[in-house]
Amino acid sequence: MRAPPISVRRLLAACALAIAAADASAELVVVVSSRSPVGPLGADQVAAIFLGHASRFPGGAQALAIDQPLGAPQRDGFYRTLTGKTPALLKAHWSKMVFTGRGQPPREAGGDAAVRRLVAENPAMIGYIEREALDPSVRAVLVLP
Amino acid sequence: MRLSAAFVTCVLVCLPVHAHGATAAGEPAAAAWKLSGFGTVGAVYASSRSADFTASVLRADGAGHTRAWSPDVDSRFGAQLDVGLGDWSGVLQVVSEQRLDGSYRPELEWANIKYQLTPDLALRAGRIALPVFLGAESRKVGYTIAWVRTPVEVYGALPISSSDGIDTTWRWSTGAMLHATQVFAGRTNQDLHNGLRIKAEHIVGLSHSMERGALGVRLSAAGARLNTAIGQELFAILRGFGPQGGVLADRYEIRNKRVSMISAGMSYDPGAWFVTAECGRTRTDSLLGGGTSAYVGAGLRRGAFTPYVGYAQVRADVPTRDPGLALEGLPPPLAAAAGQINAGINDYLATIPVQSTWSAGLRWDAATNIALKLQLERVRPREGSRGTLINNQPDLRPDHAVHVGSVALDFVF
Repeated sequence: MRAPPISVRRLLAACALAIAAADASAELVVVVSSRSPVGPLGADQVAAIFLGHASRFPGGAQALAIDQPLGAPQRDGFYRTLTGKTPALLKAHWSKMVFTGRGQPPREAGGDAAVRRLVAENPAMIGYIEREALDPSVRAVLVLP
Repeated sequence: MRLSAAFVTCVLVCLPVHAHGATAAGEPAAAAWKLSGFGTVGAVYASSRSADFTASVLRADGAGHTRAWSPDVDSRFGAQLDVGLGDWSGVLQVVSEQRLDGSYRPELEWANIKYQLTPDLALRAGRIALPVFLGAESRKVGYTIAWVRTPVEVYGALPISSSDGIDTTWRWSTGAMLHATQVFAGRTNQDLHNGLRIKAEHIVGLSHSMERGALGVRLSAAGARLNTAIGQELFAILRGFGPQGGVLADRYEIRNKRVSMISAGMSYDPGAWFVTAECGRTRTDSLLGGGTSAYVGAGLRRGAFTPYVGYAQVRADVPTRDPGLALEGLPPPLAAAAGQINAGINDYLATIPVQSTWSAGLRWDAATNIALKLQLERVRPREGSRGTLINNQPDLRPDHAVHVGSVALDFVF
């Protein structure tokens, strides 16, 4: 009779830990190459670039967005925080863009390290990675809560 | 029409060979090809047996009179080939859906070459779908809209929907507001049915979109000169009735008639809910009539489920009855003929829609590229018009509501 409450408590503790872990990993930074002159960006400016509404940074330089792979927690968290859009809504958004000839979705790179490497090499590129994956080759222009 | 399509196809195929010089630094030199597609499998039930409910006037039949349940209202399939190389890109899209002749012969919806002059300025040549109303050019991709289909009152009676020509899009910004201004010019020559064609020349138009966070606004205007042989036997006989016949024929015949469409629409979509509203006006100065249409729709997003409601209406801006030829003083055989002609004119005028629709539905995003929708509608033609219904029978009761139920599975890949 006593066993269930304990296991429920354990389960809750495990959940709390998992949520804390998810929170820690959910802190994302939007990055550009350390060689890029681009300064801090607003959430609206980053959203416009990643949704294909803007093709330049505020200073006028060309901007190329790099996405994390489909289904990656970084990707889902990035768009949820920035635009309020679920993966299904984003698919609808890009379907509208593609099937009216207005544009193609951002190029994908496989994970934080791959995004960081691409962005570091090309000052036109902009990506998002977990905060722990930051290194001197890239620079954060926006921190997402 | 075929010639320009063939031209664009040729250019698309030749593009990878000739565009090497335009490759941007750091981009791979090979052309990037991409095949994608979309479609809807749908079934629609309509309560009336005296007319067909359908999504567009350019259909052979629909649900109601022809059959109670119809797969032809919403079902379609589209495939698109994209090719990109540096600043050049091309798009070819074909769509198969029911046509006026009842067949599903695929139509070339998009076929154009784009040159990105600067990151903000693009030029295109070839076929585009007209960027009128909030989303006329994406209305066939059911997955991109919340409801089963765009409101028939607003989108169902566009006199023209594509342009073969050129267009340019310029993107700019004012503070946090992002603008896209598109200007287009062209012509179209579309086969309707059995060699009956509809030709629009001197198409010119402007579409201006504004985005700021969750808010989107679009204003558009387009005009053209329209020619089609619809009703030409009637007009030939009408002109035999002297000056008064000539006046009537000039009023309604679709010969070199100015058509125009203007619209203003907005949507607000912060994610958890959305609202969309739009109004527009079309004018044709012919038996195709003219009207003012509007709709408003809103929905809530709860996980994968989106319940929504909407209201749409269209009213005629021109008389939908005409006394026609004066019968007094005509000898009896001529008076009988004139009476038939007057009835013919009024049959055409009754097709100018006056209608309102209430709708409610549920969208279920079953997977990230599949949506299942259920929708119920109360469609009410008004003022003696048949509304947007087609194949109306003599026993169609005027101003009587038709109840419509739809189920649709939308997919994109």
